[in-house]
Amino acid sequence: MFGFLDRSLRFAAVAALSLGTGGTAAAAGDVEAGGKVFRACAACHAMEPGKHRLGPSLAGVIGRAAGTAEAFRYSKAMEESGVVWTEDALALYLTKPSAFIKGNRMAFPGLRKPDDIADVIAWIKANGGGAAAPPAAAGAAPVPTVAPARAAVAASAPAGGGRYGLGRPAKPEEIALWDIDVRPDGLGLPPGHGTATEGEALWGERCAACHGDFGEAFGRYPALIGGEGTLAREFPEKTIGSYWPYASTVFDYVHRAMPYGDAQSLTADETYALTAFLLASNNLIDQDFVLDAKSLPQLKMPNADGFYIHDTPDFPPYEPCMKDCKKSVEITGRARIIDVTPEGEDNAVSVE
Amino acid sequence: MAKGLGASDQMLGRVVRVTDAAAPAGPSRRQLIAGGGVLAAAAVALGAGPARPQDIGIADHTRHLGTSVDEYPYGVPSPHEAQVIRRSVPWLTATRESSINFTPLHELEGIVTPSGVCFERHHAGAPDIGPAEHRLMIHGLVERPLVLTMAELRRFPPVTRFYFLECAANSGMEWRGAQLNGVQFTHGMIHCVQYAGVPLRTLLEECGVKPAGKWLLAEGADAAAMTRSLPIEKALDDCLVAYTMNGERLRREQGYPLRLVVPGWEGNVWVKWLRRLEIGDQPWYQREETSKYTDLMPDGRARQFSWLMEPKSVIVNPSPQAPLTARGANVLRGFAWTGNGLVKRVDVSLDGGINWTPARLEGPLLPKCLTQFYHDFVWNGEPMLLQSRVIDETGYVQPTYQQLIDIRGVNSVYHNHAIQTWLVNEAGGAENVRVS
Ligand code: HEC
Ligand code: HEC
Repeated sequence: MFGFLDRSLRFAAVAALSLGTGGTAAAAGDVEAGGKVFRACAACHAMEPGKHRLGPSLAGVIGRAAGTAEAFRYSKAMEESGVVWTEDALALYLTKPSAFIKGNRMAFPGLRKPDDIADVIAWIKANGGGAAAPPAAAGAAPVPTVAPARAAVAASAPAGGGRYGLGRPAKPEEIALWDIDVRPDGLGLPPGHGTATEGEALWGERCAACHGDFGEAFGRYPALIGGEGTLAREFPEKTIGSYWPYASTVFDYVHRAMPYGDAQSLTADETYALTAFLLASNNLIDQDFVLDAKSLPQLKMPNADGFYIHDTPDFPPYEPCMKDCKKSVEITGRARIIDVTPEGEDNAVSVE
Repeated sequence: MAKGLGASDQMLGRVVRVTDAAAPAGPSRRQLIAGGGVLAAAAVALGAGPARPQDIGIADHTRHLGTSVDEYPYGVPSPHEAQVIRRSVPWLTATRESSINFTPLHELEGIVTPSGVCFERHHAGAPDIGPAEHRLMIHGLVERPLVLTMAELRRFPPVTRFYFLECAANSGMEWRGAQLNGVQFTHGMIHCVQYAGVPLRTLLEECGVKPAGKWLLAEGADAAAMTRSLPIEKALDDCLVAYTMNGERLRREQGYPLRLVVPGWEGNVWVKWLRRLEIGDQPWYQREETSKYTDLMPDGRARQFSWLMEPKSVIVNPSPQAPLTARGANVLRGFAWTGNGLVKRVDVSLDGGINWTPARLEGPLLPKCLTQFYHDFVWNGEPMLLQSRVIDETGYVQPTYQQLIDIRGVNSVYHNHAIQTWLVNEAGGAENVRVS
């Protein structure tokens, strides 16, 4: 997806972040004056985490990668810019948003006075926009936002603190970007909420093409509903409703891997809504049950107790028979009769 | 057919005797086998055409120059081996990106699987990841969460190890009866290669696992973001974070640039395109350890976290894709393996399990690795029911289908390691059958 240049830019920017962002030129602004400048931004940006207006919440924006506030729909340009919001990067962006990231959607012409820029950055920093964690490698020299690739290599040299001193500390905001797993006890569930009613339209738009209107699935795509009470039958149907032990797995997997081919594109609210839709389609919750980080871990799935660990061998050691072990042998089944082997010039030779 | 066969019997016998004595008059046995398929067998069996007048002569390639160096800067197999490829079963999966293909076991020999024919299993296609941009993040219950580049990973003290990797669903289509006519399809979700990489333990020590850290989550960078939970004991035991297979960097479809190696355990936990390791105090119960890779038992309950690949063996030669082509001296070839460690013994039966003979194990014999076995025998043209059974260092004896199904039923999908039977008929053709 990224061109080569974009890629090196992205990682150079991450490396720059790793050295901490304290003490750059742009930071020497006046907080109070910045508050006034911010009024121009406030129509579109709030400082509370998770609160999005026309633009994304700017909580914790300094130090994090562009286009990564949870549950905000960015332009592709912003998402793929590879930029990390160091104060220098912000200053460049706010000077002329359309030039710094071509094709981004912020309808704002830019701030003309360098002082205004320094001030508004100082204000954002003082009002919840600063990085959540202290800079890791304190005292490191500031590096330009867009470091050449060579600098990125050198930048990763600082010791991670282990025996070999390799690697660099993983920053909390970097971990937050990748750490998307959700556990049955709810650990990892993001803020947000959704109901089956809200999920229905989204399901039709983004899931039904493969999984069917209700989750019954087309062709060999997995069916996601039905199968209650079939697990001990001759042909069991394993679905979310009949088999899955935890609702958290639905949230985790849908967000991580679906829709197939456009993974991790769903917002937290959308994922809650689709999870609710799937649970409701399996008659496990009502259409308007609000699924969120509190309610989801409390749901008990029908097959929650259907799993166990079996870690002893099924067959204890014995000395097997070597001679005349049975009287006769009968052929009880033949693959040839079923005949599902793929054709090929030289495989599946069928012989009489 | 019966008539033709009758007429050909002597012919077949004669050719084999001659070639086995390394006499110059007929096609060598090697050529016969390489010629493969039924055609070569039938031609000989039916005595089609006159005996070849000359296969000893001065060939063109003996007179004229061959290809120059650098014709293939990265070498390719001989064009005469074009049939040695991975194959898939198209009806098995909904899409080609979440799908599987199979290693051509019947064409392989020795413990090394050539990288290009190692079976593939992806859940969202095989991504193309540049090593310069790849990062491994280790975090969670650790003292020092780290981000590592590929260059940094290569600066940790490496080890090299051979291991087999088998998909838990290998032979999964065979529970209800003999289905697929080819060892490639019944047993080909396995490969064995030599890895180089860093012991996972080294990386975890570099980060300092906190005492509460009991589980590890491994995650891939592909569009399935494949995840599995592993107990910390295994992570600290023999797992590797590998970047090399068979002497060169990993193949893309095997996780380039980085994969987890979890010796003896089911392939799904060997996370490819490894980008993240998280330490926690309990498992995550991801989709691949709840919806999938759990083994449904007859009572409707399912075994979970059944990672071990149990002792298993199979005869690959003869088999449906590799018929016998001649009477007289022959070699039965097969592979055995066990997630418990070393293969101790392999027995083979030519009569469907009535009588057994220990096969010859050919080295190297390494733990959690494919083991090659041979059984030299004389075929007199009578039908045979071929079976092999492995016994590993723990004394576990590979079970029959009846033994296994009595305990596990037929709906577990995963961990089928029952004894396989091939029926070899009078013409040398082999078929996948189930016997009493
Ligand atoms: C008219 C609405 C609007 C105004 C006014 C506005 N922005 Fe934005 N801003 C946006 C939108 C929309 C985006 C997302 C752009 C995209 O995805 O392409 C954005 C993105 C951003 C980002 C990137 C955030 C991220 O998560 O990557 C920053 C930083 C930012 N704006 C700062 C400011 C500042 C500071 C001001 C005032 C000086 C301001 N914006 C004024 C709408 C606005
Ligand atoms: C283009 C086809 C397609 C679309 C669209 C799609 N899926 Fe899937 N889905 C799949 C495939 C293929 C799998 C199996 C993936 C694998 O093999 O690992 C799957 C698996 C799943 C599973 C796990 C099933 C199981 O039994 O383990 C769930 C849950 C799921 N999808 C939910 C969704 C949701 C929710 C959406 C919409 C946001 C969606 N899918 C959109 C193709 C699709």
